[in-house]
Amino acid sequence: MTIYSKGETLLQVKDLSLTYDNKCILHDINFTIDDIIRPGMQQGQVVSLIGRSGIGKTQLFRILSGLQKPDAGQILVREGTPWALRPVHAGDMGVIFQNYYQFGWRTVEQSLMLAARQNKALTGHEGEAIGEYAAQFDLIDVLQRYPRQLSGGQQQRVSIIQQLLKGSDFLLLDEPFSGLDVCVLDKVVNLLLQVSTSHELKTLIIVSHDIATAAAISDTVFILGRQEGQEGSTIVRSIDLMERGLAWEKNVMEKKVFMDTIAEIKSRL
Amino acid sequence: MFKPFSKVSPVTTLMLVSLQAIVLISVWQVMPAGLIPSPLRIGEAFGGLITSSLLWDNVLVSLLLTLKALFFSVLITLVFSYLSVVPFFRPLAQFIVKCRYLTLTGLIFVFTLLTRDGSQLKLSLLVFGIVPFFTTSFLSVILHTNAQEFELCQTLGYGRFQRLYEVIIVGKADQVFEIVRQNFAIAWMMITMVEGLSMSEGGIGTLLIKYNKYNDLVHVMALQVVIFCLGLLFDDILGRLRHWFFPYTKL
Repeated sequence: MTIYSKGETLLQVKDLSLTYDNKCILHDINFTIDDIIRPGMQQGQVVSLIGRSGIGKTQLFRILSGLQKPDAGQILVREGTPWALRPVHAGDMGVIFQNYYQFGWRTVEQSLMLAARQNKALTGHEGEAIGEYAAQFDLIDVLQRYPRQLSGGQQQRVSIIQQLLKGSDFLLLDEPFSGLDVCVLDKVVNLLLQVSTSHELKTLIIVSHDIATAAAISDTVFILGRQEGQEGSTIVRSIDLMERGLAWEKNVMEKKVFMDTIAEIKSRL
Repeated sequence: MFKPFSKVSPVTTLMLVSLQAIVLISVWQVMPAGLIPSPLRIGEAFGGLITSSLLWDNVLVSLLLTLKALFFSVLITLVFSYLSVVPFFRPLAQFIVKCRYLTLTGLIFVFTLLTRDGSQLKLSLLVFGIVPFFTTSFLSVILHTNAQEFELCQTLGYGRFQRLYEVIIVGKADQVFEIVRQNFAIAWMMITMVEGLSMSEGGIGTLLIKYNKYNDLVHVMALQVVIFCLGLLFDDILGRLRHWFFPYTKL
């Protein structure tokens, strides 16, 4: 069993609810994401929000990213030293949309520069940082191209680098595994794992309906579902994959415990 | 070629257009049409016109006036369109849009009082005529902005003015060329009308009025061909300029 411990709270979602056209979409959403500490290494957090299609995942994604206001409740994120929690604002989270949207009028390099310029820690070194990330993510050759000239995988990597350059500790990903073939899927999984271990505070929140892939790279899974007799969705179950020895493990999908966990998740959807 | 949504090569399209034009002109040539001159006679007059300095002097006058009017119109359109995202200025932009229902003829006297000379009168009338159409098109572009463009700005932590700059000013710059291209015809159409107000400076409109006055239908039609060709040329130039300045529009 891997040695780990939990530190300060990085993100807290409190009593969140959302109504649309007098219809309850989300209610009483509560969860926290804590800093996971593994001795001798930089270990970020990977959390999956899993739910069926049409359950309200996108709305929760938008609220978490600060793009949409909830009707009640709040999302608090860590800030400053000493750590303190404050309400989330648009721009606090790095957001990677499902379609990896980028400005069509900017080349990859220009798009990355827009993000780098927002990061005070990179002032004066934006170009170098872009070069390093582009090399790391195999995008050097496409820096002068426009989004329409990129493949889906390249667009995804550009979106991820853009949000990393912005300097946010949180990275929200909407259905990052949707529509990918097996080879590309492996690359994306490795890419996300690479990002999650790039910094102790890096926190990936993956909103997905691909249960197995999301769970395989996560340390915690939150299941968004419906409770009997209640309108709208809420977190019906949270599963600590670290406790079960399923986090940070290679070939985890082949383990029986993992398969049992997937069956458990499916039963709660 | 006769099936819906079929794709044809550029060469086939060119052949198709040429063939249809030849058939149309041939039918026109063969069929007697009363006072309307035949294509051959118009062709002769057209040949005479394009080799005369009279035409090019007048074309130059009209072009300079049109370009001046386009420059000021684009400037005014951009200012009011960009301001339209600020609620305080939105009614003003919307009023300009509605001004396209006003007729220029009814405002000539007002503009005569407001301007110093014929040259200013023509320019201001043209600008007044063009701006509402440009503004209508550009406001529509702004209104139909993809919400994700603003959301990406928000996720990058952009403030409201940064969003305005990135999404509307930079992101829609190529659309300005497209709007000018699409609405150039309006300016070109109005030029013949406003030039009639101050004929001493000449211009293609003045020339047209003169030929009309003497019922010289052959030259009127030949001049129409010149105006048509110049319009097509400008359409092409503006399209190429857009691709040159904004390479992503070609993708």
